[in-house]
Amino acid sequence: MGTDSFDVVVIGAGPGGYPAAIRAAQFGANTAIVEREAWGGTCLNWGCIPTKAMIAAAGLARAAGHASAMGLTTEGLSVDYAGLLAHKNRTVARLAAGVRSLLKSNGVEQIEGEASFVTRERLAVSGAEGTRWLHARRVIVATGSTSTMPAFLPRHPRVVDSRAFLDLPHRPERLIVLGGGYIGCELACLAAMLGSEVTVVELLDDILLLLDADVRAEVRRSMEHELGIRVLCGHPAEAVETGDSAVRVRVGDAAFEGDCLLVAVGRRPMTEGLCPERAGLRPDERGYLRADAWNRTRVPGIYAIGDVNGGPQLAHAATSQGLIAAADAVGRRPRPNETLVPGVIFTQPEVALVGLTEAEAGRQNMRVKVGRFPFSALGRALAGGETAGFVKWIAEADSGRLVGAAAVGPHATDLISEAALAIRAELTVEEVGRTIHPHPTHGEIWMEAAHVLEGHPVHVPPPRRRA
Amino acid sequence: MPHAIAMPKPGQFTEECTILRWHKREGDPVAKGDILFEIETDKANMEVESFYEGTLLKIVAKEGATVPVQATVAYIGQPGEPIPEVAPPPAVAPRPAAAAAAPATPSAASTPSPAPSRPAPSTVAVPAAPAPTAPIAPPPAAVPAAAATVATPTELKISPRAQRRAREAAIDPSRVPGTGPGGRITERDVEAYLEAKGYSSLRITPAAKELARREGVDILTVRGTGENGRIRVEDVQRAIAERPQTMSRMRQVIAQRLTHSYTTTPHFFVTVPVDMTELLAFRQQLKNQGAPYTVTDFIAEAVVQALVECPDMNSRTDGRQVWRSTRVHLGIAVALESGLVVPVVRNADELSFLELHERAAALVETARAGKLTPDDMTGGTFTISNMGMLDVEQFTAIINPGEGAILAVASTRPMPWVRAGRIEVRQIMRITLSADHRLVDGATAARFANAIRARLEDPTAWRSWV
Repeated sequence: MGTDSFDVVVIGAGPGGYPAAIRAAQFGANTAIVEREAWGGTCLNWGCIPTKAMIAAAGLARAAGHASAMGLTTEGLSVDYAGLLAHKNRTVARLAAGVRSLLKSNGVEQIEGEASFVTRERLAVSGAEGTRWLHARRVIVATGSTSTMPAFLPRHPRVVDSRAFLDLPHRPERLIVLGGGYIGCELACLAAMLGSEVTVVELLDDILLLLDADVRAEVRRSMEHELGIRVLCGHPAEAVETGDSAVRVRVGDAAFEGDCLLVAVGRRPMTEGLCPERAGLRPDERGYLRADAWNRTRVPGIYAIGDVNGGPQLAHAATSQGLIAAADAVGRRPRPNETLVPGVIFTQPEVALVGLTEAEAGRQNMRVKVGRFPFSALGRALAGGETAGFVKWIAEADSGRLVGAAAVGPHATDLISEAALAIRAELTVEEVGRTIHPHPTHGEIWMEAAHVLEGHPVHVPPPRRRA
Repeated sequence: MPHAIAMPKPGQFTEECTILRWHKREGDPVAKGDILFEIETDKANMEVESFYEGTLLKIVAKEGATVPVQATVAYIGQPGEPIPEVAPPPAVAPRPAAAAAAPATPSAASTPSPAPSRPAPSTVAVPAAPAPTAPIAPPPAAVPAAAATVATPTELKISPRAQRRAREAAIDPSRVPGTGPGGRITERDVEAYLEAKGYSSLRITPAAKELARREGVDILTVRGTGENGRIRVEDVQRAIAERPQTMSRMRQVIAQRLTHSYTTTPHFFVTVPVDMTELLAFRQQLKNQGAPYTVTDFIAEAVVQALVECPDMNSRTDGRQVWRSTRVHLGIAVALESGLVVPVVRNADELSFLELHERAAALVETARAGKLTPDDMTGGTFTISNMGMLDVEQFTAIINPGEGAILAVASTRPMPWVRAGRIEVRQIMRITLSADHRLVDGATAARFANAIRARLEDPTAWRSWV
């Protein structure tokens, strides 16, 4: 085949790459996107979306089983795991088809195969039909990341990463999760809601350490006491043995058995096969292709977005970076990357945060005030029978500028968007407190928490006056 | 009858001081010897103790106020005692630094040296200037007071509603043209000003506006860098970081005196290299024996002897008259966090080498502790500024007002050196004399610099000192 010439070539069609390709094409660039495996990338195929399809079903099953207080009893509720997987697979297939059709309707050429740099501007794409040579004025690398598998773990079908876990044909009765980060905790909750006996092993002192202690404690309480998950912190998994019928793990003095060991101890950048050095790119010591605030690598014309650039490993961060890289690649001089990146965790209850935590504000020597409001004092949450958790605002003490927010409880992951908007718009706590929120909704809780922060709460007792 | 507490006169030439901080509040009990407040003079910060016992009834001069010495700053007495009706002490008028930096030029015939009571620095040296034999001239101009010392803000004629509107908009009301009686600014004036400035089209985030209000930043002076020029917190923070800061009183005095010296004294510079190899070896040997002498001590002694030999260098002039000092009062520049100070070793020519070492060491230690009194820094006739520890090849210093010359001592470093027709590695230190060309000519300066060099390179000389 001859050489095809493009203004922009995007490598990787995940949540960073495909929006970048669409945006570049919308700006008039002759654009191609290369995908070696699955359109939509990890997020759509083995990450965000399939887990949410399964968690949604599991949450529904759990809620139905716990609805007797609302006068609902369910008899004979059962989970058909194959049916659940089918729901997940349909969801994924539909969205993946959507990605392809969006790319097509925007005039982006879709190329299947694995891309390698030949020179700074030339790429070889090896696919089922042989190798195709591309010439690209700009290249956006969006190859993502993959689960880390520590070397001491045996290679065995019972030892899986998050991707393999989602395709297990049967639900493991006894699941051991290595790693108490957000992926480990989400999948631990999923399995527990479906009835598995789950143990989480975390090397550090607590799970979900990026959260403030009060938020963490709420999630951990629910995981341990509501879902019955065993959480072991502060010790490494020492010996892992696999057998035909079980996997055995020793942690400190305790040893236990599971049907499956899920390894969720981190992710590493994917650059295998890309040959970045042929373009003059030098991955850092951990393999990341570092980029600046416009996602430009040190090689002119080459961008790196999403997980592969070592920034926050979140789909929505990748998307935002992709749009900025695309605009920059076509010469639009965009503003730099957004720095306010919300995080969401689909545990039971859900958790979300944006901006600074209290701990981080403390590290920055920022004097802050915090306003916390519990879901148990919110009419809508009571009516829905979900009262665990709270939200909190973190504001600069003097000015009232909102600098951070966290939510743990029902719909926390949806609720956080209001906080993100408020913080990015540099609103003060007073303005959120004055904004009329519709009643009765979960969203009201931000207004209530703002009132608490200002010292004039209406729906919880006023703060005690200091003598 | 309550006791009036007066601003002390910490130095012979000190006319006024600034209250940095009150250690007691009104109503606090005070014992004799308690620290009442801390003051800053143009040369030093000091704590002021109470001579009385009782209760601090009233603070007349608030923190930041600059008041003349001997003015009443507070009353101590028994609770309930009536306090005499007093006006706050006359705050020294704040004065823009530019005005202060141009001190009243002394009328040539009658005034000796300018600013005799103020320290001035060179690139490295703040000195106390001296007028040892001359009548003390009054300070050239009132000392510039820090903006923070403004006792009462300039009265702006503005209506309360206009004031509130300006604050709400986070703008500087003093820029608004007033149309009311006597130029008073009305609310309508503020509105007209905002409209003329296109205020309504400004995009400002709420937190940015709040920050500007609290910090008194005129939002109209802030450039927004957000979407479509939206002004964000970051932009206001940048404006705050970049706004002019009043320099410390010490730096202001340094600025004033340096500018004066450098612009009114015709400086010229003579550099000579000094081969320190043997002296360093000797000093190391002394050190091993436990002797306390530093390299600076040897340089100081060599300078003192050279000054005795060359009295023209130990003089000062205003261009018409020359004042010769019969004594050597040697200033030694000391770098502190807050700036440079120059304590003066008095009658250095009368001291033995050991005494010179002890006096210099004690003054340097006092300086590091921030305990120098203004008198410690007054009256020098010549200054040494030693940057040897700062790894510099060579530098020039600015003459302290009231002196005729200053010696800049650079680092000693190994160098290829021609000695008796052979190239050797020797420890070379460059010293640069800055001299007042009205006082001496090049030949004198060169002789003087070489006189210092000769002593430092002459083992028989320094062996006789110790």
